Amino acid sequence: MEQFLKKLIHEPLVQFLAIGAALFLLSGLFGGSSVPQSGQAGRQSVRIVVTPGQVQHLTAQFTRTWQRPPTETEVKGLIDEYVLDEVSYREAMAIGLDRDDPTIRRRLRLKLETLNEDIAAALPPTDRELQAFLERHPDSFRREPEVALRQVYLNPDRRGGKTDAGARNLLARLRAAGPDADLAGLGDPLLMLPNDVPLSTGSEIGRLFGEEFGRSVLALAPGRWEGPFRSGYGLHLVLVTERKPGRLPQLSEVRTEVEREWLFARKKEVQEAVHKKLLERYTVVVERSPVPGEKGSAVAATLPATKAR
Amino acid sequence: MRNRNKRVQLGMAAFMTMTVAFLMMPVATPVYAEGSPGLPAPTSDVESSFPAQKHFSPYAGRNFPTQAFWGDTHLHTGMSMDAGAFGARLKPEDAHRFARGEELTSSTGLRVKLSRPLDFLVVADHSDNMGFFPRLYDGDPKMLADPTGKRWYDMVQTGGQKGVEAAIEIIVAFSQGKFPEALASLPGSQAYRSAWEETIRAAEKYNEPGRYTAFIGYEWTSNTGGNNLHRVLVYRDGGEKASVTEPYTTLKPLGSDNPRDLWKWMNRYEDKTGGQVLAIAHNGNLSNGIMFPILDTFTGKSFDRAYAETRAKWEPLYEATQIKGDGEAHPFLSPNDEFADYETWDKANLDFSVPKKNDMLQYEYARTALQTGLQLQRELGVNPYKFGMIGSTDSHTGLATAEEENFFGKHSGVEPSPERYKHPMAQTPNGRLESYDMVSSGLAAVWARENTREAIFDAMMRKETYATTGPRMLVRFFGGWDFTAADVKGRLPAYAGYSKGVPMGSDLSPAPKGKSAPTFLVAALKDPLSGNLDRIQVIKGWLDEKGGRQEKVYDVVWGDAGKRKPGKDGKLPPVGNTVDVKEATWTNTIGDPELITVWRDPDFDPKQPAVYYARVIEIPTPRWTAYEAKRFGVTLPKEVPMTTQERAYTSPIWYTP
Repeated sequence: MEQFLKKLIHEPLVQFLAIGAALFLLSGLFGGSSVPQSGQAGRQSVRIVVTPGQVQHLTAQFTRTWQRPPTETEVKGLIDEYVLDEVSYREAMAIGLDRDDPTIRRRLRLKLETLNEDIAAALPPTDRELQAFLERHPDSFRREPEVALRQVYLNPDRRGGKTDAGARNLLARLRAAGPDADLAGLGDPLLMLPNDVPLSTGSEIGRLFGEEFGRSVLALAPGRWEGPFRSGYGLHLVLVTERKPGRLPQLSEVRTEVEREWLFARKKEVQEAVHKKLLERYTVVVERSPVPGEKGSAVAATLPATKAR
Repeated sequence: MRNRNKRVQLGMAAFMTMTVAFLMMPVATPVYAEGSPGLPAPTSDVESSFPAQKHFSPYAGRNFPTQAFWGDTHLHTGMSMDAGAFGARLKPEDAHRFARGEELTSSTGLRVKLSRPLDFLVVADHSDNMGFFPRLYDGDPKMLADPTGKRWYDMVQTGGQKGVEAAIEIIVAFSQGKFPEALASLPGSQAYRSAWEETIRAAEKYNEPGRYTAFIGYEWTSNTGGNNLHRVLVYRDGGEKASVTEPYTTLKPLGSDNPRDLWKWMNRYEDKTGGQVLAIAHNGNLSNGIMFPILDTFTGKSFDRAYAETRAKWEPLYEATQIKGDGEAHPFLSPNDEFADYETWDKANLDFSVPKKNDMLQYEYARTALQTGLQLQRELGVNPYKFGMIGSTDSHTGLATAEEENFFGKHSGVEPSPERYKHPMAQTPNGRLESYDMVSSGLAAVWARENTREAIFDAMMRKETYATTGPRMLVRFFGGWDFTAADVKGRLPAYAGYSKGVPMGSDLSPAPKGKSAPTFLVAALKDPLSGNLDRIQVIKGWLDEKGGRQEKVYDVVWGDAGKRKPGKDGKLPPVGNTVDVKEATWTNTIGDPELITVWRDPDFDPKQPAVYYARVIEIPTPRWTAYEAKRFGVTLPKEVPMTTQERAYTSPIWYTP
């Protein structure tokens, strides 16, 4: 039975309908009836009933915060606060304090958007969809190529006009000595960076030496001293000792990642579609006072249903 | 000697006398010795950092933290009420994507991307008013029978665009009141999901051990009377543990504005879940004298040992620099330090309700607090202010931007625009904060062995961290008794550092026989994208024979050393300035890309407790305001600073007699 329920919960339709149902339920609980209409002061509902369910909710929240149930006094304190919240809420709504408040408007928009995202997220992707997504966005999932390298640093600040000549000489010496050249005492000191960098991606190398340098060394074929290449510190002579090409991974290797990206894209898609759909239900008119010196006062409609007048 | 004398005599509290009890205390314990009050038990990460035996090969046994990971421990998104009110629409998920290096659109519609990804991020939305969101909850098979449900089901099965259409239909049906009634009659235990769950979910989704660490966290925003006592909470754990409890709030009856209650809550969390959590205080500069007090602000009485122990236990780090001002030092407290007046915010408390008085400052800034900690240690036996340093943004835009040339501001009301400089960042009836006062700062650097929640959290607990005002310079700082000039000649300064001493955030071991003064190995490498280095300084705080707070700034190594010597007054001449403000450019033709040295304390007295940290100063570069003026072609008011000297502050190393 439990197995069945678990399976059921993961059924897209069930999740789907559950959201809808949740929305409906929320509307019943909080939409309209318990909230007095602003302006009419809602005097018909001066009763505040704190239901066992609400007490349970307050108690549960306390218990989750403190990892112990509240004492009787604490429960009373929680209820008192809740009642005061409710009274203030009703009174504030009655005199329209919720209107024209950017904090409230933005909060509600955030809540609506979160809701839309939930619905988008309720449809788990199939392998076919993920495979297609991976193929459509290979660059997002491609494993970067890696190189291992050795480097010798030259400090142009210290060498001044002789930097280029120094670099040429040193390069010749290094080429003569080959890939296993002893680097001790060669070049200028840069003690906090390694002479030997193990297999790393361009971005990892970029972290240490700067992006431009990362890109330069990635383009090198292994086995030969090259350079000089510029980094954030100065110039470097570089030998790539090993190179591992980049590749597009199989879906099975990156399923979690692809699913995350798929979901994010889906959420955006739903969000935009819902905005569009909702806008279709409104006629938007933007009125602006004419700007002196500008021809006409109509403002270009940026939204599909917007009419300028 | 290269040192410049900077002695600041500060008032000494009369009751801070050495007691007999103190003199009878055992000698200073080595790093993380058992029973060190307030210190965490050693982690395996740390134990193996100190090789028990030396190897012939310098590469063998190299298991110390070799990488500095970069992050922001203090970022707000649209989920924070105040951020939302200012127009932030980005959510935790967006914040993580941005930190990982993705280009996205800011809340004000600007395309934005980091120059380089961050390695870790704590989305720390305010726990107060986090609120709830409508929740998706478990279903009921009955729903399957409804014809509308059947149609939606088919659309979902078709997938792709049909699925999207189904989603829209459901929302529209609901908002038009046309949702099928048959689908609505469901039992449901919980109609809501809390914003906290949302935060956790985003962190879980983007946390990727080895590549990117998404910490779970929140901010506890104690702000009674407008005095800032805020703390950011960081979890070592994943969602399974973090979701067991609700974040702690400040409003009674559920929460409290007293940090002692927060620590109780933290203790409860750890007891219950076996998890780990730490707290990072920030903006003492807006606390009006209550961030690092010498008496308990909440009772007016002296602290007890329990206070010192709990504070040191739960608060290993302090956020020393961020958008709302730099908190390392204040010129009133350190009048001889020409670098002390850096992006100082000292007009009032957070909401401007009470103006600042000079006597509040000593309880607000990190440097003085470290010395106060030494005083309290004498009084209580434990140092409550034994913290390491980090920087973070406290940005409310969902965008962790700390770089001068990419600064998106404190909140979405002050994202880049030609008008930004005219708008106040905040305004109350009592005062106004100009947007150009915002500091494009800071970042947290953590020395760890790998980029995981566990490794970075453990490094934070052992304080192997440093703060920067935005650039990513690499900084090492080790203390020991026998570092020599030879240690900076060979490669691998860190190897010498770990094998002969202790790293930033630690205690010096007791002086071996025959050693009369501690030595420090300090090294810094510039950020490849930022300015060269002007100098490294060691800042020493100690207690004099009367127990009074003392401090001194030593220039220990500097750029252009060949042609730049301290004058007769001992002062090192300024490094120069290559900034072209109009073009917002500079050249790295002054200063050095790397500085490294071994420094021996020339004024050491083994009887006096002391605390040392390093400050690394960059050459002048354009401040964010210069980029703003250049890019928008606007002229900012004359009083707006247009250059800056960015810097790093390491966690200290302590000496206890």
